[in-house]
Amino acid sequence: MKKLRLAFKIIKTLTKDRIRYPARLLVDTVAIVARCVVLLLLYRYAFRFNGGVINGTTFAIAAWSMFLYFSFSAFRLRDISRAIMYDVQSGNVETLFNKPVSYLAYRTWWQIGSGLYSYLVILSIGAILMVLLTGVPETMSVAIFWPTILMVSIGGIALTLILYAIVGLAAFWIQDISPLFWLVDKFVMILGGSYLPVALFPNYMLKIAQYSPFGATLFVTHTVYESWQSDWLFLFGMQIFWLIALWLIMYYIFTQARRKVSVNGG
Amino acid sequence: MTKELSFAWYATKKNLKSHAELRASFLMSIIGMAINNTAFIIIWIFFAKSVGAIGGWRALDVVGLLGFSTLSFGIVFSAAMGIRRLPDYVASGVFDRFMLSPKNLLLRTATAAFNPSAAGDMFFGIVCLAIYGFLIHAGAAQIILILALVVVTSITFIAAAITIYSTSFYFMDSNAVSTGLFELFLTPSLFHGGAFQGTMRLVFTFIIPSLLIGALPVEAVRDASLSKFFLIAVLAVCWFGLSIIIFNKAVRRYESANFTTFGGQ
Repeated sequence: MKKLRLAFKIIKTLTKDRIRYPARLLVDTVAIVARCVVLLLLYRYAFRFNGGVINGTTFAIAAWSMFLYFSFSAFRLRDISRAIMYDVQSGNVETLFNKPVSYLAYRTWWQIGSGLYSYLVILSIGAILMVLLTGVPETMSVAIFWPTILMVSIGGIALTLILYAIVGLAAFWIQDISPLFWLVDKFVMILGGSYLPVALFPNYMLKIAQYSPFGATLFVTHTVYESWQSDWLFLFGMQIFWLIALWLIMYYIFTQARRKVSVNGG
Repeated sequence: MTKELSFAWYATKKNLKSHAELRASFLMSIIGMAINNTAFIIIWIFFAKSVGAIGGWRALDVVGLLGFSTLSFGIVFSAAMGIRRLPDYVASGVFDRFMLSPKNLLLRTATAAFNPSAAGDMFFGIVCLAIYGFLIHAGAAQIILILALVVVTSITFIAAAITIYSTSFYFMDSNAVSTGLFELFLTPSLFHGGAFQGTMRLVFTFIIPSLLIGALPVEAVRDASLSKFFLIAVLAVCWFGLSIIIFNKAVRRYESANFTTFGGQ
């Protein structure tokens, strides 16, 4: 109960801060507009040149899939890596380790609180614009769509935080994690269906996306496809598997990292 | 002018040497960035394979596109990373010490910092352009065109960066504004050129110069078109002149933040 109260308090404080200082929202909105709008225009041409259907997918479905990717990226959960790295580099981690709260839990709630406002605003306004511009694909009106998108979204949030926290914890050994961060981030970008929607993947790449943790963080982009109705249980299972496996890895690395820290005080 | 340029060269060399001291970290940044950029090639090649040629753009043109944009990015932020740090310099008052320097203000500010990962972009860009030249069986004229366009795209890139980061003098929280504007400029420059047709092409050529650093140079080389080259070159010179005017005007709005900062970054 106490832990939940702390989480709620952190998220509430940071959300209030973001509402008061909307600069982050401005940056995220411009980034989404720059990427998503140009991309949607590109795909509109592409689908028009190919008679409206590519790989059995329509433009509306591909557009919604990419929109879900970019709105998810507005959550900025991946920034947890850099937050951990700065804590290590600045020595702030020593202070945080001495607090009576779990360091990783604190960083997790902080990250959720930092991005929640931008994510919800961009998701809501973007979804309205998407409905007006591309319409709602039939696949989004089937009964299982809403409960399953909620489930994989929550699973995706948890998995993203764990995956990038592992990258951040590497800072205890290599100080500058940027190259590792870029590598993981680009795997997520490719296999998550960012600039190339999942439906346009070649078969072997689709398999990699389904079985790897990088693709599993963004299974939310799969929810708009027709195949989702038959695949959702398997994909959700994969997400749970990676959640458990990566949580264990993170826990192990964190235990090792704690041993490396020597708090000197003063 | 020669004196100023030799100072810029000296400052860049010094920055490079100081970063190269941490050899492992420096090399990791370069290799990491090169791998990072490869992701875009993979994505656009799969895209071209799935949807076919759009607006005359094939998969191999994307290699050229990334070659030009990452090389100009690398050149500019290797030599002039200070431009990107302008919002911090202005907000913290560090800009005071550049104003007190007897050197050219813009040059002194620009060469104050170095980005090691930009060296990775440079390396990646050179490899991409070499591969692109090989794949299109570039003749002597096209090779000369590629080399000339690298210079021209770098001029456009630095002009855009100066213009965007000059907003630091106009806004309180300028980091957010300049980051947003830079994203708006850079992102379309990494996109498949077939995306830009009609009005979009005009907007991203004349209002936001994103296509001038990637898509248009590729089309100029592919079509061996001198008219396209001259258009890109003329626009680059115009943007550069405009950016200097904007910077000089923006600097007049600067008020010292009264943090004494002698030395350090």
